[in-house]
Parts: sequence; C-alpha cells; structure tokens
Amino acid sequence: MMIEILIGVALIGAFATFLAPNRIAGKLAFAISLIPAGLSIWMFSAFDGSGNALLGGDLAFESQAAWITLGAYDITWFVGLDGSSLPLVVLTTILVTLAIVSSWTPIDDRESQFYGLVLFIEANLIGVFAALDFFLWFVFWEAVLIPMYLLIGIWGGPRRKYAAIKFFVYTNVASLLMFGAFIALVFGLGDSVTSFALPEITAAMAAGELGSFYGLGPTTLASAVFVAMFVGFAVKVPIVPFHTWLPDAHVEAPTPASVLLAGVLLKMGTYALLRFNFTMFPTEIIEPFVLPIAAIAVISVIYGAMLALAQTDLKRIVAYSSVSSMGYVILGLIAFTQFGIGGATFQMVSHGLISGLMFMAVGVIYNATHTRMVTDMSGMADRMPVAVGILIAGAFGYMGLPLMSGFAAEFYIFFGAFESTFLEYAPIFTALAMFGIVVVAGYLLFAMQRAVFGPYNLETDYEVGRAPLHDVAPMFVLLGLIIALGVAPELIFEMITDAVDPILDGGEL
Amino acid sequence: MEGVFDFAPAIAVFPLVAFVIALAFGKHLPKKGAIPGILATGGSLLLSALMLVAVSSGEVYHETLYEWAAGDATSATGVEGIAFTFGILIDPLAALMLVIVSLVAFLVHVFSLGYMNAEGETGLPRYYAGLGLFTFSMLAFVYADNLLMAFMFFELVGLCSFLLIGFWFRTKSAPSAAKKAFLVTRFGDYFFLIGVVAIAATFGTLQFAGDESFVAAAQTAIDDGGTLFGFDAQTWVTITGLLVLGGVLGKSAQFPLHTWLPDAMEGPTTVSALIHAATMVAAGVYLVARMFGYYALSPTTLAIIAFVGGFTALFAATMGVVKDDIKQVLAYSTISQYGYMMLGLGVGGYVAGVFHLMNHAFFKALLFLGAGSVIVLMHHEQDMWKMGGLKDKAPVTYYTFLAGALALAGIIPFSGFWSKDEILYDAFIVGLEEPVIMAAYAMGLAAVFFTGFYTFRMVFLTFHGEPRSEAAEDPHPVGWSIKAPLIVLGVLAVVAGAANLAPVYKLTGLELTFLESWLDGEYGAIEGLTYGAYGELLAYETGVVGTEQLTVMIAAGLSLLLAFSGAGVAWKLYNVPEPVVYRDRLGRVGDVIEANYYQDEYQVWLAEGVTLPLARAADRFDQTAIDGAVDGVSTASLFGSDRLKRIQTGIVTNYAALLVTGFIVLLLVLGYAGGWFL
Repeated sequence: MMIEILIGVALIGAFATFLAPNRIAGKLAFAISLIPAGLSIWMFSAFDGSGNALLGGDLAFESQAAWITLGAYDITWFVGLDGSSLPLVVLTTILVTLAIVSSWTPIDDRESQFYGLVLFIEANLIGVFAALDFFLWFVFWEAVLIPMYLLIGIWGGPRRKYAAIKFFVYTNVASLLMFGAFIALVFGLGDSVTSFALPEITAAMAAGELGSFYGLGPTTLASAVFVAMFVGFAVKVPIVPFHTWLPDAHVEAPTPASVLLAGVLLKMGTYALLRFNFTMFPTEIIEPFVLPIAAIAVISVIYGAMLALAQTDLKRIVAYSSVSSMGYVILGLIAFTQFGIGGATFQMVSHGLISGLMFMAVGVIYNATHTRMVTDMSGMADRMPVAVGILIAGAFGYMGLPLMSGFAAEFYIFFGAFESTFLEYAPIFTALAMFGIVVVAGYLLFAMQRAVFGPYNLETDYEVGRAPLHDVAPMFVLLGLIIALGVAPELIFEMITDAVDPILDGGEL
Repeated sequence: MEGVFDFAPAIAVFPLVAFVIALAFGKHLPKKGAIPGILATGGSLLLSALMLVAVSSGEVYHETLYEWAAGDATSATGVEGIAFTFGILIDPLAALMLVIVSLVAFLVHVFSLGYMNAEGETGLPRYYAGLGLFTFSMLAFVYADNLLMAFMFFELVGLCSFLLIGFWFRTKSAPSAAKKAFLVTRFGDYFFLIGVVAIAATFGTLQFAGDESFVAAAQTAIDDGGTLFGFDAQTWVTITGLLVLGGVLGKSAQFPLHTWLPDAMEGPTTVSALIHAATMVAAGVYLVARMFGYYALSPTTLAIIAFVGGFTALFAATMGVVKDDIKQVLAYSTISQYGYMMLGLGVGGYVAGVFHLMNHAFFKALLFLGAGSVIVLMHHEQDMWKMGGLKDKAPVTYYTFLAGALALAGIIPFSGFWSKDEILYDAFIVGLEEPVIMAAYAMGLAAVFFTGFYTFRMVFLTFHGEPRSEAAEDPHPVGWSIKAPLIVLGVLAVVAGAANLAPVYKLTGLELTFLESWLDGEYGAIEGLTYGAYGELLAYETGVVGTEQLTVMIAAGLSLLLAFSGAGVAWKLYNVPEPVVYRDRLGRVGDVIEANYYQDEYQVWLAEGVTLPLARAADRFDQTAIDGAVDGVSTASLFGSDRLKRIQTGIVTNYAALLVTGFIVLLLVLGYAGGWFL
C-alpha cells in the first residue's frame, strides 16, 4: 500500500494545488510534498526486500491488482521496490520537496499550476521507479513528459517553445522505438508469457523461450530489440550522440525544472537501461555490443566534458557535465561487475543530488543577477558568500572530491570497470574515461574563477545581496546528503549490491 | 603505553573540529577562529608526541577502524572479495611525520596571530577554517593505513590548498593561482587514481602493511613470475608504481608538474609555510616513503624517481637564482629541495630521504615564516631590491632566518647539511655502479652550488647593505607571536641534523645515527616497513672510491666546497652596501631562466592553445553536425507534412480512394514480410 499512498498523495496534492490560490500554492505544495518525502524515508529505514525485483527477489512494499486483459495478456497494477529502485524513489521525493522550496523566489506567475505540475511529475516518477508491469511502467514513463513539457514551455526562458518541443518530440520518438521493440519481444516470447509483468518476461527470457517473430530468429530478434531499447533509453539518459535536446531544455527550463530534469528524469533512462537491457537479456546477446557501448561511454564522458569546457553559460556548463557524468554510468553498467553496476546505480543517486545542488546554486545566482553568463559577472563571492560557498562545495562534489558522494560513485565505477572481464581492454577504456576527472576540474574551476572570484563586477543592472534563507536551505540539505553518502556510501551501496548480484549470477561470469 | 593509541584518531579529529568551529562560529570568536585552531593543533602535537614516545618504547599501532565499502571482486591474483577501509597505521615513519606536521601547523597558527589578525585581514574565519581542514587532511593522510585512504586525503589536501592559495579571492591573480594548483595536481592525481584502481584490481588489497598488503602481494607475484593484465608481474608493478608516482610529481612539484608551486605564492605567507614544509608538497614525498617497499621492488621506477629528483633539484635551483621576490626564491628552493628527497629515495636512501624531509620541514617553515616576518617589517613589500639593512633592526628575524639559510644551503653543521650530504653520498655510491644514477647525482651536486648562491643572495639583499626604501629604513615592529615560532624553528634548524650524523659514524664509528635506528625498527616497527627490510628488496649495487671513509670524505667535501663557493659568490656580489643588478650580464640565458624555461608557457598553451580550441571545435561540431541532424529531421518532417497536407482536399471520395489504396499497400507489405506469398 505504501507506494499507492506515495503516488496518491502526490496526485491528490497536485489537484489540490491546482485549485489553490496562487499566493499559497508554493507553501501548500511544499507541505504536501513533505508527506511522500517523509514516508519514503520511513520506507527506506523499513526496507525488507532482498534480491532483484526482476529476478525472483523478495519485493518490498509489493502490491498487485488485476487491471486490464488485452487478448492473451494480462495488464496488472504491479508495483514493488528492490534495492536498486528504492534509493531512486527516495531521491525523487526529497528532490521534489527541495525543488519546490527553491521555486519560491523565481516563480511568480501562475504558481498554482506550476506547483501542481511539479507534484504531478513526482507521482509519475515514483511510478516509473516502482512499476513492475511493462504497460503500467510505460504509462508512468510517458506521463512524466507532459508536465515537464509544460514546465519548460510555460515558465521557461526566451526560446522555451523550441526547447520544450524538442525535448518532447525527441524523447517521445525514442519512447516509441523502445515501446515497439519491447512489444516485439513479448510477441516473440509467444505463449510462455501471459502478462506484461516484468519478472515473468525476464524469467521467460532466461529460460530461452524466445522464438521467432516476424521472420527474425530468436538471436536476431533479441539483438534487434536490445539495440532498439538501448537507443530508446540512450536519448533519455542522454548518451552522445543523442544528447542535443538536453542543453536546450536545461537552459530554457526554470531552475526547479532543471533540478528535476537533471536530478531524476535523466535517471529514468539509466534506470531503464539497468532494468531492461542489462537485466533481461542473456549475456551472449549483449556481448557483441560491449565494445561499441564502452566506446560510447568513453566518448560521452570526454566529449561531454569538452563541450562543457567550451560554454560560457553556467547552466549549459552544468547541463553538458551531466552528459559526461552519465557516460560513467554506462561504463559501469557495461563492465558487468558488482562494483561496476552497483557504482553506476550509486552514481544515479549521487549525480541526482550533486547536479540538483549545482542547478540550485546557479539558479540562486541567476535570481540575483538575472544572467548566467560567466562573462557578465565576476567576484560574486563578495556579495553572496554563503550561496557561492555552497556552489564551490557542489563543484568540488562534481569533481569527485573524496568524502563526497561523487567520489564514491566514480571510484566504484572505475574499480568495477577496470577489473571487468566482460569488457575487453577494460583497463584502457577505464583509464580513458577517467580523464574526465581532469577536464571536469578544468571547466568548473575555470568558470568559478571567472564568475565567483576576482574583483566584484556585474554587467546587468541589479543589486546583488545575500540570498534569502529559503533559497539556501535546500542546498544545505543536499550538501549534507552528498557528504553523508560520501563518508558512508554503504548506507545505500549495500542495498544496491544486493539487487545487483542476481544480475551477475544469472550472467554466468 | 598501549592505551595511548586509543587516542590516535583524535590527532586528526582535533583540527577537523577546529575547522567546523571556525567556519560556523568564527565570526563571533575573539580571534576569529585562531584560538580553536591553536588549541586543536596543540592537542594534535601533544598526542603525536605521545605516539612518538609509545613507538620508541616498542609499540606500534595498525588498526582498521571503519569499512567504507566492501564487495565482490576477484583480483588478478585470485583474491576473492575486497574491502575499502579507513584505518590507522602508526609506525616510526608515521609517528615522526605526525610530530612534524602538527608542530609546523601549530607554529603556523601562532604565527598567524601576528601575521593575519594583527594586520587587520578580513575573512579570518575562512582562513582558520582552511588551516584546520588542511591540518586534518594532512594528518589523516600521514597515518592512513592503505592507499585509497591516502589518496582520499591527498585529494582533500589539494582542495585545502585551493581554498588557501585563493584566500584573497578578490584579486585576479590569487584565484588563477589556486585554480592552477588544483588543476596541475589533479592531473597528477589522475594517474595516481588509475594506480590505486589498478593495484586494487591486481592484488585485491590496498593495505600498506602486513602480510595482506599489496606490497607483500606484489612480491609474491613477482616471485611466482605470473602475468598480470598481460604484463609480467615485474613490469606491471613498475607500471602501477609509476602511475601512483604521477600524484607524487604533482603534489611534490616535481618536473614537469612543478609549475603550480611558484604561482601558489599568491596565498598568505603562512599558508606557503604550511604547504611547503609540512603538508601538500611534503605529501608526495611522504607517500613514496610510505610505500617504499613497493618501489623497492622495481629498479626502473626507482631510477626514474632518482633521475627526476636530481633533474628537478638542479632545474629549480637555477631558476631561483634570478628571482627578485623573496617568496619566489623560497618557492624554487622548495621544488629543488624536494628534488633532493626524491633523489635520495630513488637511490634507495630511505633514511636520507626521510631525514631531509624532516630537516626541510623545519628550515623551510622557518624561512617562510621569516619571510613573513620580513614582509610585515617591510609593510607588505616582497621585492628584495627594496629591502636591505634589516639585520640590525630585526635581529630575531635575521638570526633565525640566517640559521634557516645556512641549513638550506647545506653548510656544516646546520641540519640541512647532514641530510643533503647523506642523500648525495647515497646517490654517489650507487652512481659508481649505475651510470643513470651518476647523472642524477651530478645534477644534484651541481644544484648545491646554485642553492648556496641564491640562498645567500637572498640573505644579503634582504638583511645586509643599506636600506633601499623607506619601508626598509623604518620597519614595522613584529610581535612575539611572530618571533616565538621563529625561535623554535631556528633552534631546530640548527640542531635537527644531530638526529643522524651518518658521516661521523662512518668516519669515527660513533653510533650517532639515531634516525637510522629509528626507521630500522630498533625501537618499534611493523614488519616489512623498516629500512633493513627495504634494503633487502633493493637491487642496487654500491661502489666505493678506495675505502668507505675516503668516499664519505670525497662526497661531503665536494658538496661543501660547492655550497661554500655558491655562498661565496653571493657574498662577493651582494654583500655590499649598494648591490647592483647583474641580471643583464646573463644575456639570453638569463631570459630563458627568468621565463622559467618557458614551462608555464607550454602548459598554458596546452590548456588555452590546444584544449580550449578543441573544445570550441567540438562545440561547433555539436551545434552544427549533431544538433543540425536533429533539427534537420524536424525540418524535413515539417516540410514533408506541409506538402502532405495538400492531399487534404476536403473531398470525401478522395479520402475514400486514399484509404483503400493505403490499406491495400499495407496489406501487401505486411503479407510480403510475413511470407504469405511464398
């Protein structure tokens, strides 16, 4: 019942906020969002699941109910959490609450609709991470797009229409590809499956039930579906070369939307890659794609970092650096080791926190200066010491400073990738990808040197003062979580590896 | 004494607490955070001294305290499972270093009262918080019992240097220097981290000490003669050792990653003292000493360490010759002196290297704090050509500075002589058998002359002659918080050499080699981490010229002769009432040296002339080719649909015809694909 309550509270809250007057909408949404946040933290402490949700593990907070029967297939309301999805649910609820607080300053137009949409996103995001029926999952997956499209399209910057449509169409086309591929897979499994329940489909795949479909033999079919789904998810992650919607969306999106976009929406893609591509398919299907995927991962890391280096817009810098960070996730996944996949999952949470923090910090500076160009400002540390202090801390978190969560994530991934036997030339791929830690330091330090240090100067006509408490407080919460996970990564890593292990055992490595 | 180790974590935790207090409440505290810092580092010093006593009574401490992460992984050598932990290792080396670090940190805190507080600086809570975090990171690094923990605190040391070098962030130059320091050392740490990951993946452990250590595992692997990651074990140990060395070159400012250090003079002088003597720069060399067993397994790595060290010693010393800023001279001397330590360790002179690390910590802290005192005296003027004649006006500063200078120049019997001589002696006897080492030795020896010269050029220009500015004629008085640390360090610069009088032992047989016995575990030690154990691993042959005594005499005589001649030339040129600039007579050589051999230029070029344009090109490619393709698809489909909408004629029969045609085409296509026609 817990998951239904989380989703239900967010949904009802969304409607309530819609109807509420603008002036109280922000506070109301905040109060409502505290319920799922608090409950998910309680669920985190009460978590009693084990194993992987798709591979016969004991689910926590599981519930099932018949929904629709479609021909020979049952579609069920089937939700539950394992060690890899629960941390993402907690990340979602916490980030939503903090994003709402960080909206109080910048959002001054149609507030009730804005906050209603944020809560609506939350409901669907929880659904994405909790759903275990493909159909149900896909409904949530698609439903996330609509409120995000509106958030960018209504409250965004000058090119908001272009960015919103690009975001919507690009990711939607990708979803279509993925959807078609998955349905083909289900048909290929023939009579061996009678529902869209993911564990059942996974079990059938593992049992080798995949037959021919549409003139394609089992292996070809599986490979084609693997590629199509990979591409479908790659757009969402995003992985080079499917990443160009991201900077546009981020630059135009209002700060809180950026926080959710980078913090959680990107993780939908990596989470889905883990759940579908790297859990359902036998390793012999994945094997031919190992080297290309590893190459894409390395390219995403280095190319993404190089793009970030060329930017002068603070938001674009952080946006491109997400491409770089997501490259690490792909490298960890393809390594197929406990530390690799576990580290990739850890990175999803860690990057959610750190990129959220960075977007908030950039947003606070924007609120005060009305510019994000590093060329337009210098010496901001002089006027807003606390906000800039947090920005610096966040930047070092992004660089993977030890005792912050980013280091734990990256170290796990590097170690897991280096020792991989699944990935040929693993040490070389790892060493190449690791060069990202130098470039990231380059562009973040360079940007900070120009924007926050040096003699105070601002090209826009605004008086810069200290940021209000409600702008700064959410960042402190994030910083606290980042340090907590950096000092004690086992807080979630233990849970994650518990869910990751069955994937590796099934893979006969 | 055993119970004393229960307090070991507090050594690092005290300064961490001071950091938190200064950051959170510093604004409201009477000395803006100085008092908690002084108390904390004083406490650390006291506890470190207790550890030293405990180790001297035969106790050692090696305990895993916290499991950071653990999981399944099979190492290349077949070890199942791996745990990444935090633990404390207190053996003779660590205990000694703890005392050095906490002592220097304590004195720097006290000195800051006079240098920062009394001079009316703003942002002091941030300053003291930085010092606290810096001390914490370094102390935790020093007693880390495994390579990952060492790496983590090594990186945190880098963060602290960034924060403190950039302390005066409202200037343009300080943030730039801070960025450079972090970036250049990060470049080194990139290799270090690959090394950590590689060693963990190879041996399944990162412990420094014990049977479970990666050093022991590497030795077993070499003895077994297997292949690791496609290389034979020996080569792989060399490769991983060199990767870790990348971090050392960065932090210890060795060629070619030394360029950040002179810029780092943008930070407050107290910070320079801390960075150069006991924390950041010392961390690199300390790491080599800490995992010396691993390097001892690889003659190639050792030879590289020795050669890089010898080269850096000479290279940096020549650059120190033409600098006019007192702090710049000291900066280049630091690079040069760490070169000596690397040379010493690289030739297997573990004791000599550590000995010089200790002596250097004292006399370099002294010289930097002395320079800080001079800067206060001179109303914040750093150009030596504007000084002169401070000798009689500030006797405490002068005589302590002189003691440090004599130690730096390696003049007998000051501390620096003993350790530098021991390094050069060790290099000499190995060099007699190994030509590469002989080359490294020759460079180290040549550097002695330049060291003597630039050191005394600095002393004479600053303190002797006639005052050359108003500030020098009427110096600002300095208080006891400045003088007291100078006196403590001044005494140490004079007497610390007595810790290991190796030449005396070799010439007379008097057992005055206390430090060697200490590091050889005659008091307490962890098995395998002693001078003797390392000696057994080393593959070096040593030679003598005639007898051992004669060799000692030759080595010591040569270096003393060069040191005296360097100092003598400086005396001749600069110990005059009105010294003149000789810089022009150096001609083009002088230009090259003054430009620091264009090291900065090529590194800036790599960053701004290569990487940045490459990034911009990537950005253009991204905007045009990749995003262009995306937008192209949308343009094409918009265009297509624009054309397509013309078939919407509004005539029902047209629609019916299209509908039927479409249906038939679809049926045919599906049928063909489904194989109905076969």
